[in-house]
Amino acid sequence: MKKVLSRLLASLSLAALPAAAYAADSLVDTTTLLRFSQDSRPGVAKSTLLPATVFLGLDADKLADGKLSAHVLGWGRADLADKSFNENQVDGSLTYGYLQYRFGAANAQARAGRFFVHEGILNEQVDGVSVRSDLPYGFGVSAFGGATVHNVRIPGTSSDGKGDGIFGGRVNYRYGGMFEIGLAGVYETVAPTMADPNLAGRFGSHRVIGADLWYSPFAKVALMARASINTETSRWAEQGYLLTVKPLKDLTVTGEFNDYQDRDLFYSSALFAAMPSMLSGNNLNQQSRTFGGSASYQLNPKFELTGDYKHYTREIGKADRLGAELRCTLSDLAVRTGAGYHYLRSSADFAVLPTLDASGSFHELRAWAMRDTKSYFASLDVIDYLFKREIDGKKNALELYGSLGYHLTPNLALSGDLSYGSNPQNTDELKGLIRLNYSMKLAGKGDTK
Amino acid sequence: MRPSSQSLTLLALVALLFALAACAQIKALPNLPANHPEELASGPVSCTECHEDQQKGTLKQYAAFNHSRSFITNHRFYAGSDDVLCATCHKVSFCADCHTNQTEIKPSVKNGSRPDRVMPHRGDYLTLHKIEGKLDPASCHRCHGRANNERCVVCHR
Repeated sequence: MKKVLSRLLASLSLAALPAAAYAADSLVDTTTLLRFSQDSRPGVAKSTLLPATVFLGLDADKLADGKLSAHVLGWGRADLADKSFNENQVDGSLTYGYLQYRFGAANAQARAGRFFVHEGILNEQVDGVSVRSDLPYGFGVSAFGGATVHNVRIPGTSSDGKGDGIFGGRVNYRYGGMFEIGLAGVYETVAPTMADPNLAGRFGSHRVIGADLWYSPFAKVALMARASINTETSRWAEQGYLLTVKPLKDLTVTGEFNDYQDRDLFYSSALFAAMPSMLSGNNLNQQSRTFGGSASYQLNPKFELTGDYKHYTREIGKADRLGAELRCTLSDLAVRTGAGYHYLRSSADFAVLPTLDASGSFHELRAWAMRDTKSYFASLDVIDYLFKREIDGKKNALELYGSLGYHLTPNLALSGDLSYGSNPQNTDELKGLIRLNYSMKLAGKGDTK
Repeated sequence: MRPSSQSLTLLALVALLFALAACAQIKALPNLPANHPEELASGPVSCTECHEDQQKGTLKQYAAFNHSRSFITNHRFYAGSDDVLCATCHKVSFCADCHTNQTEIKPSVKNGSRPDRVMPHRGDYLTLHKIEGKLDPASCHRCHGRANNERCVVCHR
């Protein structure tokens, strides 16, 4: 019944497509990618990969009385040579497809179909309905319910580890310009039984409650926090805190602290719940903590400099990452460049193969540039990872990525990408891609990013 | 003492009155615009280039939403409570360039002509993930947690 319901709702939203022709505002965006590469890894049968993938997006606004809109995004792939990604020669997915009605006040809206929910601590994909509205005196409420969107089954089982039904919501309170607090929860029907000994005692239903906070005692200071509790294990799953300070108009300084309880956070993921015991006999199945900070300074309208630092603490070891990035925007956005450096210093326990003389440390260097004119666009991206200790006999992983394209019409662009890589997986890795993008907007004003 | 049916009725009436009063006030609450009224340039923007004061719909400072590098890194905190504000400028497909349940192309390859966009897994992440995954698996779980992405499942089962 739930599967029927989910398919019906998705079909309903697709059935709305013809209505797009009557929409006052609409945006059609398609991207067709033809990739080509050869897989010649040692020990793997040599194959020629030529997958063609089409992404199709549609936003039709101002339907019916002007408050109804339809939104669809999906992709399909056909392998024109050997199988590229999985056992299917042809594959596809509906990312979202829903009808939305925006009421005339209070940011109230209702959705029906397949959609994403981002409310406080919640991030879900649902086939169903949702409603939200601001309420008087600073309150707000949102709710959703329907069928879960099932994914690929875990090999060797008949399930993806999800229950069939899901509902949840969030209530929040805002006090003008000073703080907002939200309480949210999600309840998924009973997770299927998974016959995997690695999951014993570490996997179950997806049921979480939590809170989010935004507190700004002064205009230049804001504290944001989110914390969730796994009601199945009755323990904290995640806590995250972000302090943002803007001492100067163009300077943003942040400090963050995150705490995760792996078992409680991964509890409803059939893939992640089994991973710690598979990898290292429960060594990873404990607390993870990170803290750090960053500073972004807009030197002038053209340059932005960012520095960041993060410290990682796990049961098996500690690590630090620090680095900086400079971004430059010239000629009214026509030219953009950037360069960055980061260093990860980690103990041997984080190495690919954690032996006594191994290291998980590496340097990351990246530089990129792009130019976008009315007629053509081009970009070059160089990224190199320099490992402190060799990985599979390689001291670094280099990738050069170039792209050149032409605006055939204001709505149609044709581009080609070529990338070269030399890394522990492949001595020489050459990949190519042809991209055709068509983006047509029938509207008055508004951004189409 | 058990409440009488009269007091329950009275309580229900009072609740109804409150609900009606709230409904009447809802109509007076402002809506954020469905679209940004002016065309915006491609790339990160600063709301305070044009706006001052407090954002009426969210009751927060415009400056809080300036798209600095720090904002982009930590955008999950903002999107969780103000996605209606995000939607005035961004189509949902902009978010779905990365945040999609089932896909087969790295976002940085799909958008390979846009190195300016901050996208995950550039370069040889196949090697890197063997280090990063042990370092901070929660950051992997945030996107891949319940998606069972086929490329993960191939090795991790």
